[in-house]
Amino acid sequence: MVHVGDGPRALRASAILELRQLSRSRVLVVFTVLEALTFLVLVSLFGLTGSRAPTALVDDDHSPLAASLVTYLERAHHSFQLRPMTAATARRQLASGQLVAAVTIPAGFGNDVAAGRTVVLPVDVDNVDVDLTDDIQRAVPSALAAFGRANGFPGVRVVAAERDLIAHDTGFIPYLVVSALALDALVVAGVLGALAVAREFEAGMVTQWHLAPVGAGWLLAGKLLASALVSTVAVGVAAGVVFAGYGVTPVHAFSTLASLVLCVGIFTCVGAAAGALLRRSLPVAALFFGLALPLYIDSGALEPERFDGNAIWAVAHASPVYFAVGALEDAVHGLRVTPEPPLADAAILLLWAAVAVVIASAVLSRRVAVR
Amino acid sequence: MRRAWAVARTDLRTWRRSPWAVVAALVPPVGMLALVMVLTWSVTKQPVALVVEGRGPQAALMAHIITADREAYQLRVTDLTRARRLLQRQEVAAVIVVPASFDSDVATGRASLDLTLNNVDIDFGDDIRRAVDRSVAEFDAPQLGASLERTGAAQGLVVPNPYRVDVAERDLRRTTVTYSKYQAVPVVILLVLNMGVLGAALLGARDRERGTTAFLRATPIRPVALVAGRLAGTALATVAVLAPAIAVLTAIHVVAPPPGHWPALVTVLLLTTLLAAATGVLVGAAVRQVRAVAVVAITASSYLFFLGGGFTTIAFLPEWLRALSRVVPTSYAIDAVRQALFYPGLHGVGTDLLALSAFTAAAVAGGARALRAGAVR
Repeated sequence: MVHVGDGPRALRASAILELRQLSRSRVLVVFTVLEALTFLVLVSLFGLTGSRAPTALVDDDHSPLAASLVTYLERAHHSFQLRPMTAATARRQLASGQLVAAVTIPAGFGNDVAAGRTVVLPVDVDNVDVDLTDDIQRAVPSALAAFGRANGFPGVRVVAAERDLIAHDTGFIPYLVVSALALDALVVAGVLGALAVAREFEAGMVTQWHLAPVGAGWLLAGKLLASALVSTVAVGVAAGVVFAGYGVTPVHAFSTLASLVLCVGIFTCVGAAAGALLRRSLPVAALFFGLALPLYIDSGALEPERFDGNAIWAVAHASPVYFAVGALEDAVHGLRVTPEPPLADAAILLLWAAVAVVIASAVLSRRVAVR
Repeated sequence: MRRAWAVARTDLRTWRRSPWAVVAALVPPVGMLALVMVLTWSVTKQPVALVVEGRGPQAALMAHIITADREAYQLRVTDLTRARRLLQRQEVAAVIVVPASFDSDVATGRASLDLTLNNVDIDFGDDIRRAVDRSVAEFDAPQLGASLERTGAAQGLVVPNPYRVDVAERDLRRTTVTYSKYQAVPVVILLVLNMGVLGAALLGARDRERGTTAFLRATPIRPVALVAGRLAGTALATVAVLAPAIAVLTAIHVVAPPPGHWPALVTVLLLTTLLAAATGVLVGAAVRQVRAVAVVAITASSYLFFLGGGFTTIAFLPEWLRALSRVVPTSYAIDAVRQALFYPGLHGVGTDLLALSAFTAAAVAGGARALRAGAVR
C-alpha cells in the first residue's frame, strides 16, 4: 500500500543518500569544481591570444614623429603589445617564436617625414599562423592611416566613420568567461548527474530500485536534486570568480541567477540520461569534457553564432548550450547574441529541461524494468 | 628485465580489455580537434554588408577595393534597407556604406566610409575595424607596401604615399601555416598526455581498489621491475595510439616537418609519453577511487596542456603566466613540437629537450617512489 507522502519521503531519502555518497567522494567533488575553473582558465588563455600581438619595437630615431607613430600603433584596435628592444634581441626572439612581429623605426624617420618624404618602415612578421599574420597585415595600414590623418598630411582624403550598435565595447575575455559559465554548468552538472546514475548500475543497486514502495522517478529525482545542489555550488564558485575575479558585474542579477540555476538543472538531467545509457562512470568525465569544447564553440561563445554562417547557426540550435549562452550574455552583459529574444532562449531551455527529464526517466525506467 | 616485461604485458592486456578507458582518453583530444576545426570558421572572415550609394568613379573604386578583399570580408552587396535588416537579424556583423556624396567629398578631402558595427565583443569588432581601415588606406595610398627596403648592396625603392610612411613586410617563412594546422598539432600532445596520465593512473587506482597491490607484495617481483613494467606498459599503450595518429596526420600533411627535423620530433613525443606515464603513476598513487581517477587525470592533463601553451601562444600571456609556464614541463614539449614542425631551424629545441628530460626524470623518480611505496607497504 503506497501512501501519498511516500514519494516525497523517498525523494528526500534518495537525495540525502546521494549527498552522503558525494561527501565520501570529496576528491571527485573537488576536482569537478576545479574542472569548472579549468574552463575559465582555458577561455581566458584563448582570449589573451585574440588581441595585442607581442611585437618588438626597435626605435632607432626617437623623434616626436616616431613617438606619434608608436602612439597610433598602440591605438590600432588592440592589435599590438609593443615591446621596446634592440634589433638583435628582436631578431632572436622572432626566430624563437616569442614575437609575432618586429617594427623598426629607422634613424632619420622624424626628419624625413617632416620634410614630406616617405620613409620605409621595415616590419618583420613571423607568418607562422595565418590568423596572427592577417591581424598584423591589417593593423599596420590602420595605424599608418591614423598617423597620416592625425598629423594633417595632404592627400589623406577618406576616413572610416564608425557607428556602434552598442554604447560600449565588451572585452573579449569578459564576453568569453560569461559564456564559459554555460559550459561549466554542462560539464559539472552533466558529470555529477551522470555519475549519480552510472554508480547505481556499477554497484548493482538498480535491481533494488524494484523493492522501493514508490516509482523509480522519485528515487531518480532525489538523486538528481542532490547532484544539482552540489553542481550549483560548483558553478556558483566559478560565477563568483567571474564576478569578483574578472570584475564582471551582471546587468540583470536575478536573470543571471535564474539562468545559471536553469542551466544546472537541465544539464543534470542530460547527465542522468548519459549515465543511464553508458552505465559506467569511467568515460563520463571524458565524454562531457570532450563534447563540451565543440559544443561551446558552436554556441555563440566567441561571437554571435549566426556570424559563422547559417549552416553552423542551424547546427547550434541542436545544443542547449547555444540557448544557455544567449540567456547568460543577455543577463550578465545585456547583449543580444542570438536572433531569438532572450525570453525565447529561456523558454527553449525549459523545454530542454522537460525533454531531458523525460529521456532520463524513460531510459532509467526501461533499464530497471529490463533488470 | 623479464619480470618488468611481464608487468608491462599485463598492463597492456588490461588496457586492451578496457575499451571505455581508451575511449575516455581519446574523447578530449578528439573534442579539442573538433573545436579547432570549428574555430577556423570563426577567426577568419567576418560577414559584412556593403551598400554603395555613391554613383561616381571614386565610389566605384572604393567599392572595388572592399569587394576585392576576400580575405577579410564575407561580403553581401545590398541596399541600405536590406543591410539594416541583415544587421538586426545578426546575418552580418557590420554594414559599410559608401555614401552618395563620396565623390564630391573625396574632391574636397573630407570623404568618409560609414561603418555600422555590431560591437558585441572586441575580438571580431576589431577585426572589422582593422579591415575597414586597411580598405581606406588602400584608397588613399594604393601604392602602400610597394617600397623596397634598402639592405646591404640593394638600393631599395621608396614609393611615396600621403601617409609618408610605407611598409616593407618581411616574412620569416615562405608559406604561412593555416590556423587549423597550427592549432591542431599541439592536440597530439594532449593525446599523449591523456593516454599516459589516464592509463597509468587508472592501472594504479585499479590495483589498489582490487587489492592487486597486496597481492604484488607477496610475489617475488622487485619494486624496480614493477616501476619499469608499469611505465613501459603505459608508454607502449600510448605509442600504440599515437603512432597511427601521427601516420594519418603525416599522410594528410598536417605533420610535415622540414628535412632533418623528424628525430627531434620523435624524441620530444617519446619523452612526453614517458612524462605522462610517470605523472599518471603519481595520480594513481594519490587517488584511491577508479571513479575519481578519470576526472583527476583529465583535469591534470588539461592544465598541463593549456598552461604549456597548447591552446594559446605563450608569448601573448602576461609576464606572471609566462613565468608559470616555465615550470610547466609540457610548455617545453609544445614549444619543441612547434619549432620542429613550423620553423626552418631547430632554434631552442636542444634547451627544450634538456628541460623536458629533467622534468621527465623527476616525474619518473616521483612515480617510482610512489609505486614502490605502494608495493612494499
